[in-house]
Amino acid sequence: MKKSFLIQFALLILLIIFTNMGTRSSETLQEDELGTAGGMRVELTGDETVFESSPANDNPPVKGGTLVLAESAEPENLNSYTSTSAAATRILDYVYETLLDYDYATWRFDRPVVAENFEISPDGYVFKFKIRENVYWHDGQQLTADDVLFSLKAILNPFVDDAPMRSSFSKVVSAWTEGPFIFYVESSETYFRNPEILGGFHILPKHIWDPEGLLDRYSVEDLLNPTVTREEAAIKEFADAFNVHPQGRPVGDDAKPIIGSGPWLFDKWVTGNYISLARNDHYWNTEAPFIKGYSEGSAYLDKIIVKVISDATARLTALKAGEIDFIPRMRAVQYFTQTNTPDFLDKFQKVSYVVPAYHYVGWNNDKPYFSDKRVRQAMTMLIDREGYNKYVSYGLGIPTIGPFYIYSEQYNKNIEAWPYDPQRAVELIEEAGWLDHDGDGIRDKDGVPFSFIFSISSGSTSSKYLALMLKEDLRKIGIVVNIRQLEWSVYVENLRDRQFDVVSLLWIGGLEMDPYQIWHSDNIGDRGSNYVGFRDAEADSLIDNARFVMDKEKRNAMYFRLQEILHEEQPYTFMHYQRDPGAYLKQFYGVKWIPIRPGYKMYSWWRSTSMMGAGL
Amino acid sequence: MAEMAPARTYGQIVGSQFRKNKLAVFSLHVIYVLLFIFIFADFLANDKPIIMRYQGETYFPVFREYGVNWFGMNWQDVFKSQQFKILEEKYEAGDWAIYPVIPYSSTEYNLKVKLQAPTMSHLFGTDELGRDVLSQMIHGARVSLLVGFVAVAIYVFIGVILGALAGFYGGIIDIIIQRLIEIMITFPRMFLIITIVAVMETQSIINIMIILGLTGWTGVARFTRGEFLKVKNEDYVVAAKALGYKDVRTIFRHVLPNTLTPVLVTATFGVAAAILIESGLSFLGFGAPPEQATWGSLLSSARDTLPTGWWLTTFPGLAIFITVTVYNLVGEGLRDALDPRLKQ
Repeated sequence: MKKSFLIQFALLILLIIFTNMGTRSSETLQEDELGTAGGMRVELTGDETVFESSPANDNPPVKGGTLVLAESAEPENLNSYTSTSAAATRILDYVYETLLDYDYATWRFDRPVVAENFEISPDGYVFKFKIRENVYWHDGQQLTADDVLFSLKAILNPFVDDAPMRSSFSKVVSAWTEGPFIFYVESSETYFRNPEILGGFHILPKHIWDPEGLLDRYSVEDLLNPTVTREEAAIKEFADAFNVHPQGRPVGDDAKPIIGSGPWLFDKWVTGNYISLARNDHYWNTEAPFIKGYSEGSAYLDKIIVKVISDATARLTALKAGEIDFIPRMRAVQYFTQTNTPDFLDKFQKVSYVVPAYHYVGWNNDKPYFSDKRVRQAMTMLIDREGYNKYVSYGLGIPTIGPFYIYSEQYNKNIEAWPYDPQRAVELIEEAGWLDHDGDGIRDKDGVPFSFIFSISSGSTSSKYLALMLKEDLRKIGIVVNIRQLEWSVYVENLRDRQFDVVSLLWIGGLEMDPYQIWHSDNIGDRGSNYVGFRDAEADSLIDNARFVMDKEKRNAMYFRLQEILHEEQPYTFMHYQRDPGAYLKQFYGVKWIPIRPGYKMYSWWRSTSMMGAGL
Repeated sequence: MAEMAPARTYGQIVGSQFRKNKLAVFSLHVIYVLLFIFIFADFLANDKPIIMRYQGETYFPVFREYGVNWFGMNWQDVFKSQQFKILEEKYEAGDWAIYPVIPYSSTEYNLKVKLQAPTMSHLFGTDELGRDVLSQMIHGARVSLLVGFVAVAIYVFIGVILGALAGFYGGIIDIIIQRLIEIMITFPRMFLIITIVAVMETQSIINIMIILGLTGWTGVARFTRGEFLKVKNEDYVVAAKALGYKDVRTIFRHVLPNTLTPVLVTATFGVAAAILIESGLSFLGFGAPPEQATWGSLLSSARDTLPTGWWLTTFPGLAIFITVTVYNLVGEGLRDALDPRLKQ
């Protein structure tokens, strides 16, 4: 045995010696002509506000057909106010309606839906909504201003489990009705996002959620008054019932369907399997074009089935097998390398569309390593954002320099992104005093070694890759990166408690954003969303003042300045705005993509029954 | 005819029995190769030259790396950035370097060559960041073997002691230890491990080794207890007792050596099982930290790229399969060799 061991050893040594001196990898550059991989790339620059990916069809849209789409996660419940998952909102948006919604031509939040029209008082504090008189709930009852008032009361009820949602209603001081179809709401501030907040909540039917009228006795002022809410047991009683109301979790065959007023009826929820919706054939809005410039009708598809398939590979397999028709979000590697066969491209249309969500790396500004803005700038210059986007995200990202949505008027296009420049970065780090004083190979300053923890959520492969790249690169310049994988709930907990050095996250925003929540120093600590601890006096005053500037241009000028400050300070390294890759069966027409979440709405989709739809 | 063969020792007998099993002998040689990789991984796959001549001086960067990592040494100023491949551009006449067979480290990434099928420069292809798969497998072998051996060492230690106590003393001690074993085995092991790992603050292979060690001892304990029960009434044990030896001495000097061999056979199987569990944990993302290349984590990264990227599943999968198989074969060979009934 000894002899054979020696022989093996000698053989391997020989192998080493025979290896040519200084072997190098033959750098076979991966062609970047992956490009679009046979898919469409939604660009919403210029005048286009909606992007249609399906070819023009001479036939008018026809009703009928089913669409089966796959989501990765199931909502924990379908209670519009207490649910925090985006999956729930995506479904409930079809079942419930709001007073106002986005105008798909201008992307302002002023298209009347349940409201026929609305007025803002000259001082800007009071909103008057005239409710349409022909809106009916799915059970045939009429929708009135009472339902709207009830819904607002439910949101404001301090015992209802909807704290994240309620916080944006914190400026409401009063609301009342006048007759059955006039609804007033008063805000203490003339905030520019008021229409979106005060007109943007789902209206729930009062006769279903509060048949005994528990909330009737209390006004909005009462609900905002802690003394009243503490003393009146009925308020808590209502909230307790509301939080667990069967309408919020209509599971199984005998469950009563969710009653809304929207163009789709809730059909069925089989947990762990699917949620289905059916077209509302008695929908109230039959006359006017449903959404101008987007869809003439309110709904064409007979049925929408949202299947829950958590595994990405299984989702793609299901699509190929014809079990589902549409994957809204697939993995980049699937989009670019696994769906390029002529067969697939023949049968399915691939689309990559922008959603208002950006990827960033957040540096905890209160940690000794990142308290100096030069170090943060250096970190940005050390991350090869272009290479990362090109190779890890397959070019799906759109570079951004700040938090605002790149397709919005708030985005400052005049700022040039920091370059990828490791050399300059090292100079900046040394300028900031991080040198290897004690000679252990790791930079330090005031006795603190430059060794930090990069926290990543255990599900996120892209964050993992970024962390691994950074670790390898920084090791070479004497900075230690430790990667810590955390389960999502722990990750969020640490984030809120600000117990982290570096995080990598996706922030899901909106078309028009208020930077107050993330960038104002008010929101540092106490579980506020300014997790990285960014403080700047000028930024604070800009954020405070801009909120009440109703003139869009003046307001945006202030936000432009804010972006300059953020660019200089680099509290985050802004990576990219996200493009989601998806694919759908080519039998569908009227497939349109929009710049608001989730990037698509089923109102305009219809399924061609003729054979001209490819594939079948 | 009456000539006696020279007396053979127990070891020689077992050795000759073992050698009759060709498959086991071959497997043992595979284990030697694995051990070689385990020890010399840094010399087999590394982005630093083993030896290099640079500007008139000779350096040994791989050895230096050990010095830097373990003995508080520093990189020479010329190598501060540790980017030896970039240094090549500055080579003058007479400068040269001998790189390891696989001139890539397990963490070195190159996005431009990501997800490449096996080529001459990357024999086993590259992963999603353009890291060399073969290099990751070589360094992953370290993790696998280390986890296998250390975890088994821990649980053999615990199991033998508890089993010995239970078997030797019997009575209340036996009952307590038996119940303890029963409590332990009621938990599904994988589930228990995942639960413990999930509440751990940091991920490290040391944790995995300890957890595997702390959860795996029940089999060994039962086995040892059984052997003790068998042996404890033998004459030499009774004699040891009669001579008034302390229990500790009786247990560890007299009884244990006669019960240990079968335990070691099960330990061989245990190594294979531990390697498998570690791979499973890494596959699920609970195992080694992300920067640590392991066979399991390689497999898991392949899952995202399937059905493309066959090399990401095939090679690590084969490595796990081969390793687990050879340990089992060696274990089997040992068991047969030790079995007196098979002796001729």
